[in-house]
Amino acid sequence: MARKRFKLTRGILFIWLFLAGLILFLSPQKITNKCQFVFTRIFQLPLKISRSISLSAQTNRNDSDVISRRKFIKLQNHLANLQAQLTQTEEKIDQVTGMKNRSGLEGAKILLADVITASLNSLHCEIIINRGQTDGLSTDMFVLGDNSIIGTISQLSERTAKVKLLTDPAFKLPIKVNGLKTNKILQGAGNNTAKIKLLQTKYKINVGDYVYACKKPGYLDQPMTIGKIKKYTRNEESSLLWDVTVEPACNIQNLNSVAVIIMNPQIQAR
Amino acid sequence: MRWLRFAALIIITAIIQEGLINILAITKLNIKPDLLIILLVFFAIYSSTYEAIITSFAIGFLADLIGHSAMGPHMLSFGILGTLLAHLVGVITVRKMPYQALLIFITASLTNISTHLLNALKIQQHTQNAYTVIFGIALYSAILGPFLFLPFAWWMRIKTQQLSKR
Repeated sequence: MARKRFKLTRGILFIWLFLAGLILFLSPQKITNKCQFVFTRIFQLPLKISRSISLSAQTNRNDSDVISRRKFIKLQNHLANLQAQLTQTEEKIDQVTGMKNRSGLEGAKILLADVITASLNSLHCEIIINRGQTDGLSTDMFVLGDNSIIGTISQLSERTAKVKLLTDPAFKLPIKVNGLKTNKILQGAGNNTAKIKLLQTKYKINVGDYVYACKKPGYLDQPMTIGKIKKYTRNEESSLLWDVTVEPACNIQNLNSVAVIIMNPQIQAR
Repeated sequence: MRWLRFAALIIITAIIQEGLINILAITKLNIKPDLLIILLVFFAIYSSTYEAIITSFAIGFLADLIGHSAMGPHMLSFGILGTLLAHLVGVITVRKMPYQALLIFITASLTNISTHLLNALKIQQHTQNAYTVIFGIALYSAILGPFLFLPFAWWMRIKTQQLSKR
């Protein structure tokens, strides 16, 4: 019996592939993201090597600047964190004199992770790290780079996690500018910057002022530095508001490893 | 078409695109060439329409995998534009480098715009300078692209002087 050979025409092939793309597009992101995580895990080594080569090439390009400067920024951020901690402690002592106080990150677990890939442009600012659910991570945990907050965990798989950086246009976080007694919202703006929303011109700010992430019970028990004010101008639409641009406190692009803050490791472990 | 070579080529290109290509990034907007779009145009020019449809969707799928946003937008826009391009190349001949560069520029612009719009449809987000970045990537890819056709053709064992029969 002659076997009939089945051959797809160009039209049918296109429709099939188009439908596959459409199904992928309409599927929930939680499910489709697993494909991205699987790809990252399979090609983890070549992706890391590729990134390391590009980083080392960039480091060689401005050798005199990066090496000493990075250490300097790291220490500067550490100092800023200590200052914030000190201010907070002083406020607490004033408020509840006599009560026992404990350090903000006491008992917290700092989990180190390697950066597998990074996407930093005006459309997306995210990194993928080699730690996941099995390491006790969960979404919304804060991620540190050179002692400053660089973002939060946005998506998780068993062994990898996506970190939404503070410069990502979809990133929002309550913050406090050093010296001001008001909390505002910081939103990513791409291109290694973020903006502070709705800060009235009655508040005095300066270029170089530190910006701190506010406390978030269960995730961050003390304010931590997030960046510095890069520039500020009057808002074009409302002259009563500042248009404040913030730059991250560390060079995110050059980070090879980061640290995740797990505030309650015992609870996470259960 | 040598499909194993094709699979190896797009995976290697994706890995380079994800890390190594940062060496070539310029300006504060971090503009870098899009190797996958260059590859898309290459296969649309130098393979049959049937193969170009498959390669376009496959490259789009891989772009989604290395992308840090939702899955699907790249596959759809790469697939549709790659197919259109393959049909167009069946009518007109694109042999000279300036024409190839122009084709890469137009394809990169349209593909990135449609991907950006599809992404915005799925994930509500406002981005600044998005179109400046898209234009920058398209221009950079157009300048670099035609020079990469030669190594791509060598790897795929395709003779660039002769357009394949459709």
